[in-house]
Amino acid sequence: MPLKKYITSSCFIHNGIVIKDGIKIFENPDVDISAFLLSIYQYFKFNYPKFYKMDNLSKLGWLTTETLLTNTNLTGNYQPEDTGIILANASSSLDNDIKYFNTIKDVPSPSLFVYTLPNIVIGEICIRNNFKGEHALFIQDFFDVGFIVKQVSYLLNKNILQACICGWVEVLGQDYKAVLYLVEKKKGKKPLLFSKKNAERIFNDFDSVRLLI
Amino acid sequence: MKVYVAGLGVISAIGNNVSENLLSFDRQEAGMGNITMLDTIHREKLPAAEVKLTNNELAALTGLSPDISRTCLLSLMAAKEALTDASIPDVNLLRTGFVSANTVGGMDKSEAFFVDFLKDNDKGRLRYVFDHECGSMTEIVADKLGIGNFMTTISTACSSSANAIFYAARLIKNNIIDVAVAGGADALTKFTLNGFNTLMIIDKEYCKPFDENREGLNLGEGAGYLVLVSEAVAETLNKELYCELSGYKNSNDAYHQTASSPEGTGSFLAMQGALKKSGLKPSDIDYINLHGTGTPNNDSAEGTAIKRVFNPSYPPMSSTKSFTGHTLGASGAIEAVYSVLAIKHGLIYPNLRFKTRMNELPFEPETKFVKGQNIKHVMSNSFGFGGNCTSLIFSGI
Repeated sequence: MPLKKYITSSCFIHNGIVIKDGIKIFENPDVDISAFLLSIYQYFKFNYPKFYKMDNLSKLGWLTTETLLTNTNLTGNYQPEDTGIILANASSSLDNDIKYFNTIKDVPSPSLFVYTLPNIVIGEICIRNNFKGEHALFIQDFFDVGFIVKQVSYLLNKNILQACICGWVEVLGQDYKAVLYLVEKKKGKKPLLFSKKNAERIFNDFDSVRLLI
Repeated sequence: MKVYVAGLGVISAIGNNVSENLLSFDRQEAGMGNITMLDTIHREKLPAAEVKLTNNELAALTGLSPDISRTCLLSLMAAKEALTDASIPDVNLLRTGFVSANTVGGMDKSEAFFVDFLKDNDKGRLRYVFDHECGSMTEIVADKLGIGNFMTTISTACSSSANAIFYAARLIKNNIIDVAVAGGADALTKFTLNGFNTLMIIDKEYCKPFDENREGLNLGEGAGYLVLVSEAVAETLNKELYCELSGYKNSNDAYHQTASSPEGTGSFLAMQGALKKSGLKPSDIDYINLHGTGTPNNDSAEGTAIKRVFNPSYPPMSSTKSFTGHTLGASGAIEAVYSVLAIKHGLIYPNLRFKTRMNELPFEPETKFVKGQNIKHVMSNSFGFGGNCTSLIFSGI
């Protein structure tokens, strides 16, 4: 009998807005992606100088996770090996790959080169939070919610993980969208079952959720 | 439960087998030179340590097709030598595994494919991309060796084949297999040469590991394998065993994609953990085969970590990459072979081209080829991108 799992926190960043647990907490429309990501970092007074060196994919994934984990105590509740990350996106690290490719004609940039892999974003999140559990990044045309639910459920059911951050982190040029879920075996304050339907609703249907600022 | 080393095989820029490699050490002849095999725009500009056999020659020696990736050809050369050296009467009567590491897979052939394919998407020999994946190398070689019980591929950058060796030892200790051919291979490719060049860590001259004025690494290629056997198998063999794998530890810096932390946290934990596993004290180690790539970052971090582990008395140490170049996924296994030979023949290898001690370190590497030493315990370091750090310890019997 598979055990029940719950979405205990969610974070959505897309088109100039940041939504945490269904509540809009920041908005900065009409700026380009780099300015928008920096404005989130500054607004929430994050203090992590390495942020400035990251590519946009890592910045987006890192910011979404920081926001997702606000008011949670993941590192206190779980061993480093018990928390994992399962992500998906459509464009891999292509956003940064193109920027790197444009430098080859002149002097290839070492600082861009080291971000020419999609799973570096997972590394940045793990280093920040000292997560040492199972992790993977899948490349798929569209966010395949059923696939992610299946992967994460397996890891939690088999006790390979006790908690998992999962979802979608996509950047290409000025287009970006990140939706992350924190999935745990215990109910949070507002228990929301980790199901395809609920995950999909958070991903697609934010307009119908309360949007307060 | 002990795991013993019963066979060795190696191919590198300084020789196509174990005895040729030893001869080059004796003559202090490094394997670097102008690039002659790899088709690259960096010929004449960047030195590299190429294996001195063409793909056709390697194919003739191994019985593989010359259209197979050079990684595969190198892998089979060394794995065959190791298995022959172990002279196990019939590996098929035992649970034999092949644990093989590499980082480039069949990239050399994929690069050849793309030359035609980019010009015209209907062109390009698909045969060349068929074995692109790292795992393909292992499968082709295992097939040729007649090993079908167990095989797996490990790819953790420059610590790959050190990890393959201790993973194989753990399989034996856990009674999953009895015998393992374990190590790794990597061929030079445009992919790696251009990548390391982008990182600006290639020395345009021959590398100078652990020298204050070091300027980077030289890339190399090759393969190395050990045959590891269980205690039970060791008792049945009619040959002298080399040594045992007494300690190992894998650890991670979690610091940067390609650089080590300045304090050498990962390498410190790897060395310390391997010592703990073997039950040895730092003063028991008779020789350290350094990772010693020759990059400012690695040698400084590794040196700092060695200082933390060994202070105040340091065993002799050297980087054999001053002979072979950095063979990436193969380096851990090639240097494991050298470490085992150090125990068997009482050798300390010279660290070529060393002149000036590093400012921050109270020790320096050995510069002469020293023979006839009593070498009981050797530590071999292999540290990879992603902060993946591994130390192995071999101990005489």
